[in-house]
Amino acid sequence: MKPIRKKRLQRVLLILAGSALGSFFIIRALDTNLDFFYTPSEIILEEIPQNKRIKVGGMVLENSVVRDKTKISFTVTDYQGSLNVEFDGIVPDLFKEGSGVVVLGYLNGETVLAEEVLAKHDENYMPPSIDIKK
Amino acid sequence: MLIEVAQFLTILATGLFFLCFLFSNIFNLNDLNIINLISRIYSHSFFLFLSSFLIYVWMAISDNFSVLYIAQHSNTNLPVFYKISSIWSAHEGSMYLWIIFLSLWGAIYNFFTKNNEPLKARTIGIISITTVGFLLFLLLTSNPFETILPLPPENGADINPVLQDPLLAIHPPALYLGYVGFVIAFGQALAFLIEGDSSINWEKQVRFWSIISWSFLTLGITLGSWWAYYELGWGGYWFWDPVENVALMPWLAATAFIHSLSASSKSSILRIWTILLSILVFSLSLFGAFIVRSGIIDSVHSFANDPERGLYLLAFIGLLVMTSLVLFSYRFKILVSNKRIISLSKESFISINNILFGTLIFSTMLGVIYPLIYEYIYDQKISVGAPFYNAIYVPITLLACLFLFSSIESKWQKKSIITFFSNPSNASIIFSLLITFIAFKLYSISKLWTLASLFVGSLIIFRYILVIYSYVFHKKFVNIYSVLAHLGLGLLIISIALNNDFSSERALNIKINEAEMYKNHEITFDNLQLVNGPNYESVRADFIIEDQNGNKFFLNPEKRKYFVRGQITTETAIHASILKDVYLTIGDQLDDGSWIVNVQFNYFIRWIWFSAALMTISGLFLARSINRAKQ
Repeated sequence: MKPIRKKRLQRVLLILAGSALGSFFIIRALDTNLDFFYTPSEIILEEIPQNKRIKVGGMVLENSVVRDKTKISFTVTDYQGSLNVEFDGIVPDLFKEGSGVVVLGYLNGETVLAEEVLAKHDENYMPPSIDIKK
Repeated sequence: MLIEVAQFLTILATGLFFLCFLFSNIFNLNDLNIINLISRIYSHSFFLFLSSFLIYVWMAISDNFSVLYIAQHSNTNLPVFYKISSIWSAHEGSMYLWIIFLSLWGAIYNFFTKNNEPLKARTIGIISITTVGFLLFLLLTSNPFETILPLPPENGADINPVLQDPLLAIHPPALYLGYVGFVIAFGQALAFLIEGDSSINWEKQVRFWSIISWSFLTLGITLGSWWAYYELGWGGYWFWDPVENVALMPWLAATAFIHSLSASSKSSILRIWTILLSILVFSLSLFGAFIVRSGIIDSVHSFANDPERGLYLLAFIGLLVMTSLVLFSYRFKILVSNKRIISLSKESFISINNILFGTLIFSTMLGVIYPLIYEYIYDQKISVGAPFYNAIYVPITLLACLFLFSSIESKWQKKSIITFFSNPSNASIIFSLLITFIAFKLYSISKLWTLASLFVGSLIIFRYILVIYSYVFHKKFVNIYSVLAHLGLGLLIISIALNNDFSSERALNIKINEAEMYKNHEITFDNLQLVNGPNYESVRADFIIEDQNGNKFFLNPEKRKYFVRGQITTETAIHASILKDVYLTIGDQLDDGSWIVNVQFNYFIRWIWFSAALMTISGLFLARSINRAKQ
């Protein structure tokens, strides 16, 4: 092979290897940091590891909110299955019984220990997968 | 009647803009008369369009609820300021504003570019066709001129209370000015490619506009972040929400772009980068519009969901990008420089950082669209949160900063002999190591990334302080505004790291007249009162906070109920000092009469705003100094 071609080939291979390595790290970072979104009935049916951060979306069941000091617990439901949620802190203004909520946290038995409780900034909001079923 | 006039003016302007584009392509641009003609048609159609917008603003001020959009988003009780800002509080009106700014940039460019070269006419042609694309989008899919006739409602539906905020009224205009300002760079890049004459130095002309747009973009993002900090009550300033990400991507691309510009306005070495980045910046700005307005991604900010709008925008953006890239590859030959990038020259560092910025943009894009791909393939909803972005951004940003540090001493097109181990660099490295060591020993900062950020941040700050020193005392030539902007970057990195390391929060459960301790601060719940505002009623809590030194201050968080929509909002109370914010929000009242109160100590948050402000202001002054040098 001519020296100039060899040099070019080396350069191309170097760039390819570099991008492959970079992409590998990016994708790996992505894969280990995904939050999966479930409805309560899916959580009951599927096996979900406890150390995996998940998002659960549904409606806050009527008369299920119990408060104790700064802690709050409530039931999130998709009207096919229900799940208990525990949270320590202030819930958003739009959080109320009978309206939509998304919870981010870890599963512990039948309970979700929430890190964040979100209600959407729109009073007409429904969590995505409930829209159709109700 | 007035609304029909406004709509007619807009349609007329659309036609004239299209004429500009047509003329710039079919006529021989070596004829000075033709160039003048195109320039004049552009000005006229801009004034028609501007008049239509002013009529619209007038109708919003005078509560003309026969216009559907105004009836849905304004109200007679609103102060005039919010009546105007209600125009950009939802999709149709904000699109209207976006296009006004788009054509405004074109008009300013048209007015201030005195040399009547073919390049100018072509640039105006490209700005015009982009404007036409968006105007058609406005008129066909999101018409703000729709009316409710013959019976207009008595009163309007009000804007969302969380948007009734002075900062949020100016956040979208600043952001939009930044986004669409890059149309000039985009237009000139394409005009340059069409002209196909590699001797034209378009980079010099475009630098001024791009740096101004960059400053507006920085300002817009900062205002949004500041607003989210005090209004949403979460106490954070960045949430890696898709809508924030799509604003960050153009900012990153724009930052890479203005750096490449300064390289390629000196020699044509980085021209390929510059052209590609100018296309990328503008496409990413448009992509942001697509994500926000199509509703395909779940976000707390998204406008109403409408697939038809998304499809139109996607097709339009696709067409623009495709055309640009085809042109780019067609003219690739004239872009290739016969000079090579010399290693350890300034250009080499800029290229490396371009690659790093590209990686950040790629990763962010992946984070934004991966949930869509994943759901399509596996039928499983996922979201990508802060951990992913932190894992990518922290190391790459720090690495890019190290290259920035090494580039300070380097020269254009020359290999610098001693880069890392010259006196000023050594001094900075030693000083930064010292700072990091002190932080580690005395302030017990132990997280590796915090220490690394502290080191890199101080490295940049000290190195640039030395640059300022030699500028002042040895009259060494530097552009002081660029130095200040980079000082802002160093400060930003340190502030973010320290904010992340020191800040803490806790929810407390307090009754009136009781006190709780949190981190050496005594928090007393003094009183609770009902307060009536202009368009809301509010429960206001009075708190007295006393720190360990006996300093007392009062904080009054509120819960408001707005009359028209019945929406409840939380108003945070913040006590700001140089080092930290004490940040209080109240939650619900429990059955035993006590309240839940959230206390946050947010450290160095003011420093973050200050750094961003420094970058914005330096950017504007930098643009001014470039413009002066040009004349």
